[in-house]
This record gives sequence, C-alpha cells and structure tokens, in this order.
Amino acid sequence: MKRTLQVLNELERGGVIERYAIGGAMGATFYVEPLLTFDLDVFVVLPQSTAGLLSLAPLYEALRARGYTEEGECVFIEGVPVQFLPAYNALLDEALMDARETSYEEAPTRVVRAEHLIAICLQTGRDKDRERVRIFREQAELDMNYLAGVLQRHGLEGKWKQWTP
Amino acid sequence: MEAMDTLKPEIARLFAAKEARRHKLAALPFPEKVRAVVCLQEMAAPVLRARGIKVRVWNLDDRVA
Repeated sequence: MKRTLQVLNELERGGVIERYAIGGAMGATFYVEPLLTFDLDVFVVLPQSTAGLLSLAPLYEALRARGYTEEGECVFIEGVPVQFLPAYNALLDEALMDARETSYEEAPTRVVRAEHLIAICLQTGRDKDRERVRIFREQAELDMNYLAGVLQRHGLEGKWKQWTP
Repeated sequence: MEAMDTLKPEIARLFAAKEARRHKLAALPFPEKVRAVVCLQEMAAPVLRARGIKVRVWNLDDRVA
C-alpha cells in the first residue's frame, strides 16, 4: 500500500487532484480494530475544468497513462483497488480540509478524522454505517466537542441522537 | 438454571477478554492493521467467491510473509 499512497501523492503534486484523504473502512481502521474491506476509499477534491465541471475523467486518464487499470468502480494501483469519491457536499469538503496528516511506512498520507467519518456514516445511513458508529464510540478516541460542531454544522444532531440512545 | 448461573462468570470473563482484544487491535500501528485487513481478506475471499461475489485480495508491496 506504500506504493499506492506514493502514486496518490504524485497525482496531488502534479495537480491531477487537489487534495485527497483516506476514508471508508480503511479510514475507520486507522482509529478502531481492523475492519474487513476490499476497497481503499479515497475522497478527492478535483480541480475544476475550464467549463466549471468536476470530472473524474482526467484522474482516470492520468492513471491509465501510468499503466493502472480500472475494474468496475475501482482502479488497481499497485495491487490495491482504489475507489475515488469526489467531495460532493459541504461535509466531505470539510472532512478533506481537516483530514489528519500521517504516514504509512514513511509515505506521507491523510486520513479523514474519526469525527468526520462518524458524520459521513450518519449522513449515509446504511445498517453497516450504524454498526461502524457503534464501533467508533466503543474504540476510538473522539474529540466530543469537535464532533458536536461537525454534527451541528451539517444538521446531523437528530440522527446522532437517534443512533446513540 | 443452576448450570447457567455457574457459567455466567466464565462467560463474562470471555466477553471481557474479547473486548480487551478488540481494544488492543484498535491500538495497533496503522501498517499492522492494514496487514490484518489483508489477512481478513484472505479468510473472507473464498467464502465470498463461493457465493459468486468477485473480490481481490490486496497485494501489499510492503508485506512481510
């Protein structure tokens, strides 16, 4: 995965993506026990095209040019299927902006904060998201003041109360 | 009923140990957790494939055999 992250860093340095951060189950795994997943979910801020449109096409083209192939929704980068998810709302924009800087085997990278991952779970709302919120509450070190701010800003306080009686 | 009562402390101890192990796993360094995820993938992949679900186990360049 080190090489995968190095490729993501190269894409960011080259301006193909403006910013990225690991999310999804692998992002959660950073804070809690290892969770089974087969994809590396990567949230990305994409540069705007001259027409003002956001498109994953230039990113996919750049990866194809480096010899990486697509399979379904993922691109195989150095043995890891990566699913790119463009930031599509204010919560994801904020999650990317505030993502935690870290490193993996000396490769610098970013992981979405636990509090934002919880908010994304609340917003997505599937059964597995609810279970993930439970695991976060049980195992992760959370900044409850920061979480309260995220929930308030993105209108998720009601869902939080509903899921955490 | 009596047998159930005698089992309770033992079961409670097992659940507590299980919980402690999950917290211990949560505290592992990230690269070790990633390797654990790949082990989980190796365990789950044959079951999922038997159900017709296409999955691929990650090929970690930095993995120690």
